[in-house]
Amino acid sequence: MALQDEDLIKSFMSIGLSEQKAKETLKNVNVTNTLKLLLKQVSGVALSEGTGMLIYHLATKTKPQICEHLPFIAKYIASKKLDSTVRVDKAIEYVLSHLHSIKDDEFEKFCGVGIVVTPEQIEKAIEKQIASVKNELLEKRYRYNTGLLMQKVRTELPWADGKAIKSEVDIQILDLLGPKVEADLAPVAKDKKVKVAAKEKAPEVKNNVNTASSNALSIMDVMKKLNFHKPGENFKTDGYVVTERTQELMKQHLKLTGGKVKTRFPPEPNGILHIGHAKAININFGYAAANSGTCYLRYDDTNPEKEEEKFFVGIKDIVEWLGYKPSKVTHSSDNFDQLYEWAVQLIKADLAYVCHQTADEMKGFNPPPSPYRNRPIEESLQLFEDMKNGKMDEGAATLRMKVTLEEGKMDPVAYRVKYAPHHRTGTKWCIYPTYDYTHCLCDSIENITHSLCTKEFQSRRSSYYWLCNALNIYCPVQWEYGRLNVNYTVVSKRKIAKLIEENIVNDWDDPRLYTLTALRRRGFPAEAINNFCAQLGVTGAQSTVDPSMLEAFVRDYLNNTAPRVMAVLDPLKITITNYPHDKATTVEVPNFPNKPEAGNHNVAFDRTIYIERDDFMEVGEKGYRRLTKTQSVGLRHAGYVLDVTDVVKNKQGDVVEVVCNCTAVEKAATKPKAFIHWVSDPVSVEIRSYASLFKHKNPEDPAEVPGGFLSDCNLDSLSISTGYADKSILTAKIFEKFQFERLGFFSVDPDTNKDMIVFNKTVGLKEDAGK
Amino acid sequence: MDNLNELYRETDLQEREIKNLVRQVEELRNAIKTKSAGPNECAEVANLSTENIKLNHRLAILQSAIVKEMSKGKKDSSKMESIQEILTSLFSTAISSAFPDLVDAPTVIALSKDPQFGDYQCNSAMGIANTYKKLGKALAPRVIGSKILECVPAHPLIANMTVAGPGFVNVFLDKNYGVNILTDIFEHGVLPPPIDRKQKVLVDFSSPNIAKEMHVGHLRSTIIGESVCRLLEYLGHDVKRINHVGDWGTQFGMLIAHLQDKFPDYITKSPPIGDLQSFYKESKKRFDEDEEFKKRAYACVVKLQAFDPDYSKAWQLICDVSRREFQKVYDRLDITIEEKGESFYQSRMEKVVKELDSKNLLELDDGRKIMWADGINIPMTIVKSDGGFTYDTSDMAAIKYRIDEEKMDWLIYVTDVGQATHFDLVFNCAKKAKILDNTKRVDHVGFGVVLGEDKKKFKTRSGDTVRLIDLMDEGLKRSLDKLMENGRDKVLTPEELKSAQESVAYGCIKYADLSQNRIGAYVFSFDKMLEDKGNTAVYLLYAYTRIKSIARNANFTSEKIKELAKTTSISLDHEKEWKLGKTLLRFPDVLIKISSDLYLHHLCEYVYEVCTNFSEFYDNCYCIEKDSSGDIIKVNVGRILLAEATALIMAKCFHILGLKPVSRM
Repeated sequence: MALQDEDLIKSFMSIGLSEQKAKETLKNVNVTNTLKLLLKQVSGVALSEGTGMLIYHLATKTKPQICEHLPFIAKYIASKKLDSTVRVDKAIEYVLSHLHSIKDDEFEKFCGVGIVVTPEQIEKAIEKQIASVKNELLEKRYRYNTGLLMQKVRTELPWADGKAIKSEVDIQILDLLGPKVEADLAPVAKDKKVKVAAKEKAPEVKNNVNTASSNALSIMDVMKKLNFHKPGENFKTDGYVVTERTQELMKQHLKLTGGKVKTRFPPEPNGILHIGHAKAININFGYAAANSGTCYLRYDDTNPEKEEEKFFVGIKDIVEWLGYKPSKVTHSSDNFDQLYEWAVQLIKADLAYVCHQTADEMKGFNPPPSPYRNRPIEESLQLFEDMKNGKMDEGAATLRMKVTLEEGKMDPVAYRVKYAPHHRTGTKWCIYPTYDYTHCLCDSIENITHSLCTKEFQSRRSSYYWLCNALNIYCPVQWEYGRLNVNYTVVSKRKIAKLIEENIVNDWDDPRLYTLTALRRRGFPAEAINNFCAQLGVTGAQSTVDPSMLEAFVRDYLNNTAPRVMAVLDPLKITITNYPHDKATTVEVPNFPNKPEAGNHNVAFDRTIYIERDDFMEVGEKGYRRLTKTQSVGLRHAGYVLDVTDVVKNKQGDVVEVVCNCTAVEKAATKPKAFIHWVSDPVSVEIRSYASLFKHKNPEDPAEVPGGFLSDCNLDSLSISTGYADKSILTAKIFEKFQFERLGFFSVDPDTNKDMIVFNKTVGLKEDAGK
Repeated sequence: MDNLNELYRETDLQEREIKNLVRQVEELRNAIKTKSAGPNECAEVANLSTENIKLNHRLAILQSAIVKEMSKGKKDSSKMESIQEILTSLFSTAISSAFPDLVDAPTVIALSKDPQFGDYQCNSAMGIANTYKKLGKALAPRVIGSKILECVPAHPLIANMTVAGPGFVNVFLDKNYGVNILTDIFEHGVLPPPIDRKQKVLVDFSSPNIAKEMHVGHLRSTIIGESVCRLLEYLGHDVKRINHVGDWGTQFGMLIAHLQDKFPDYITKSPPIGDLQSFYKESKKRFDEDEEFKKRAYACVVKLQAFDPDYSKAWQLICDVSRREFQKVYDRLDITIEEKGESFYQSRMEKVVKELDSKNLLELDDGRKIMWADGINIPMTIVKSDGGFTYDTSDMAAIKYRIDEEKMDWLIYVTDVGQATHFDLVFNCAKKAKILDNTKRVDHVGFGVVLGEDKKKFKTRSGDTVRLIDLMDEGLKRSLDKLMENGRDKVLTPEELKSAQESVAYGCIKYADLSQNRIGAYVFSFDKMLEDKGNTAVYLLYAYTRIKSIARNANFTSEKIKELAKTTSISLDHEKEWKLGKTLLRFPDVLIKISSDLYLHHLCEYVYEVCTNFSEFYDNCYCIEKDSSGDIIKVNVGRILLAEATALIMAKCFHILGLKPVSRM
């Protein structure tokens, strides 16, 4: 071994690699193998200076799909027709898109074989570019980004040597600006955007670290930037497996799709969508929309158990709520007949077999290979039919595919016996296909171009490609993105069901949960959720965020969309003895103080008003700025200042009423320290406020919560109170949202009836302390 | 005013608060209610109901697999399909897929009364609606009917289905299906319906007593037993016909003693006993009057039961005489049976007693050993107080022998209904002794007594029991009279006349017996059975010869018909043709029904219905058209084929019923 390695290092060094580089290369098995192959190809040809490095470049940049064409490219390198990395890159690109139709002349043209760029040409091109940006250059001097400039030159002269361009640009700039002066080296003074917020006397939504800036990217922007393959160019993706039939199948596929992007959102219809799904919905629907493609909603209903009608309806409802319209609603079960036929085809091709190992025997690390792997095809065919006809007990037999997954897992199961009626196929089937088997085939049937899924499924990618190719059908490309997790909650349907069963929450849409129906009920706007997803982006990394991050997006959105009203959650009666009118008057309240154009609404103002109980203290504490026996307070929007004249108490000594005098603000002797909200002639409303349902960040983590997630529940997370709100909210519809001045954002709950309007507290105005 | 408003508001608030509290109390109550069923019980119920759903699902899958297997076109070409069974299977698949949550929803398939509303109907919807009602779910039977209809898998026999009335699903048969099945008869013959599995069946029938004459009482067992055997053999079972003759017991002592006195050299010379009946009477007289003879008779029994060769020889001789007499009757009635009498079980009786004893199943009662069956308040006497055995003993030994040694799957005993309790006891005790289990089937095929035309016990004018031989002789005479009355003697050759005479005589005796519900008493009347109208053998035999003559008149031989059937389809277009055709298609259904309840009168009713439907067809549809000079101008081959298929199915029915049709009568 060592000897071989040494030989290899030597041969690598012979093409110009340093010893260290050669040793490093050896660690990369793929590159080593490719390089070995290439060296064999060019052995005996005297390699001139630099050619060897181009061979090495090819070995590192090549893609598995084009491996059979490597000798072809190597030949061009050896004969110096491809003499720069640019040309080698171009060669790879050309071959990749013409796997089966390489024409020499076309190839040479594409790679610019034989084209020589003279220094004069470079000089000229750069002069031209510099002239076009001369003013800016003179202003910014050395802070000007010359990269852009060089890029333009390269576009004009694709075969020019990069180094030559660089040095020429440097020279010409030096020529223009002269050497760097001190100012050029000083740090850049940041552009300070002075944000002049309209100063309000009342507390404002405070920006904090988590506040999403309003000019954040929309999901469309994010999707447009994604660097996925174009429809029809599946084979350009790394890891995509090309077979003899790929091209033909791709032609058919393009004919059927018209070259459009096609994605799908494939939830299992056995639960309610949660915040994690919001990301999947946004990526799938968003990517299709951003590329003028279509996206299906596919119910992945291969598991017959517990698929209820309400889940089907709920999923579609939520997708639409988020603002997406599936171009078609499909079901995996639509394809059961086809899937079965394909399974038979696999068996006949000796690519699948019926196995009797138990689930336990298949589990664990490195389980033994199935002893049934090599049973006769006929036998598997018969047994598979027996499975279908109900002759096998559950667990007594599975159909397994002869393929090994990335992490070494052998022969994933394709079909298992399950005696359960299916929501859509009734008693037709007792064998149901697995995720591994169904997913790629349904994607293929639906001509999906981009099969987007979360990172966990990366290990299934090889079986995905294998299966499509084993059946000689169109093979989509699987792209993975990181899963979204939210702290302080659980999202698994089993766990939520348990919470409901234990009466800890009321239903799937209990506003303390992070299901999408729950968030909607709590008052989270769909747009805020989408913006939040856009912010997370489509990276491969798993993102785990605190609810406060999502809440910041909600607050941000509602601040501009939820009109303000006044409401008191814990009313204290105030009687104004010198009320200056005979009867009730009205006061105009702006819907959005920042946006006068958004209108006003009128609220009653009368002798009796109600203020928040904690806006009054008989004797104020230090720093208490609101009403006390000795301290006046202003009434927002009313233009009056209150002074206490008497405090009425009940037998228990609780304050039940405060009697005050009022003075118009402008006549007040001292300006009040604060203005508070109030209501008069109000309606009572039920207010439901929520605290976090779980006390720990990861309620499912046994290290953090040894007693299990149920033990971590805050049983007082729901508090219901009856408050007063001004009558303008009487016409509010379900899910309509308001900002209760000084309190937070509230949304009308579906429990609202003609007797009582019910509000859910969506979020406070400020991020809760302590989290 | 302000204060008042304030108070209003407060009451308002409080009212809401109260409402809120009431609601919460309600919720709590509900929560308690749902939990009060007891968590353990709930879990068990939940588990069982899950298990039930699974089993139902599997059942539905298996059923539909069977249906698919059946309709694969690879039909079992040695069987004729049973429409009732196919429909039952199709509908039970449909019901379990339409209502997977139901437990054992019964599939009720019946013939439609009015062909306007289909040929068959599924009546399950009403029952299912009731079941749902009990579960607190309101579902209209009509809705259920429609749902069932939607789920019925396609099958070539169904042309169309409708939902009618409160929820019947009406099924209209496909004529092409009928044409295919009936045309197949010419290629493969009339085939029996499929059976679940071939079984070894033992039919114990006839069973007269040695040394006694067979009388009319044995007639019914013999006729019914024979037909049961023929049916089961036709269905494809392995049938053993057993004559459990009474050849053991004390009477043989006196017979042997008498034989020794009358024919001392019986060992070397076969004694010429012509009339065993009078021989028996003589010995009986001596036995009753002569104390000494009686003692000797008992001694002979002991010797015989000890298998002393001389005594055995004497016994054998006596049995042979009897056997010859029995055989004469069997030959005339065309009965096949194998003798295995009580004597065969002597040693096995001893063994079975030991076995029962060792299993602690026997109880001592006043010197007897008795055995109780569960739920029956009379015991079996297994050993008498003198140590002797009884019928109970021999029947226990026989049942054990038949199950354990003969490896039978199904035992059928054909005796009069008076023995029903006895067999109930035997079967019960056999189960208790673990001789029988649920994998075996046992039936007691009981029949009522034979009455004379005066509705009293059937006797001769002198008051003696009617000897079977005499009865048959009279039958022959009456049959000949009938034929002569119709002037048949002038038309038929003497040979034809004789076979017609026998066919009618024995046929009518058997048919009269079989066409009655066997459980009831039956009135033996030659006048009635020889009538040529109505459901009688005479009518059927005449009708059969008439049908056979149609093809003959068209100059078609049976070979030619076979040939024609390959190119011409049987005709079922005319309403009457289709009515007859559908009746013919029911042949397998009828046989399946009989194989489950063993009532042969269903077959008689069926063949009679075939006959009347044929008459209707024949009255309405020309098979052969002739001009005025009697020359054939047109032959409707499709109809001739229908007539011929009718004849073939009737012939099959006749065979099972023991009727021998003749070509001319």
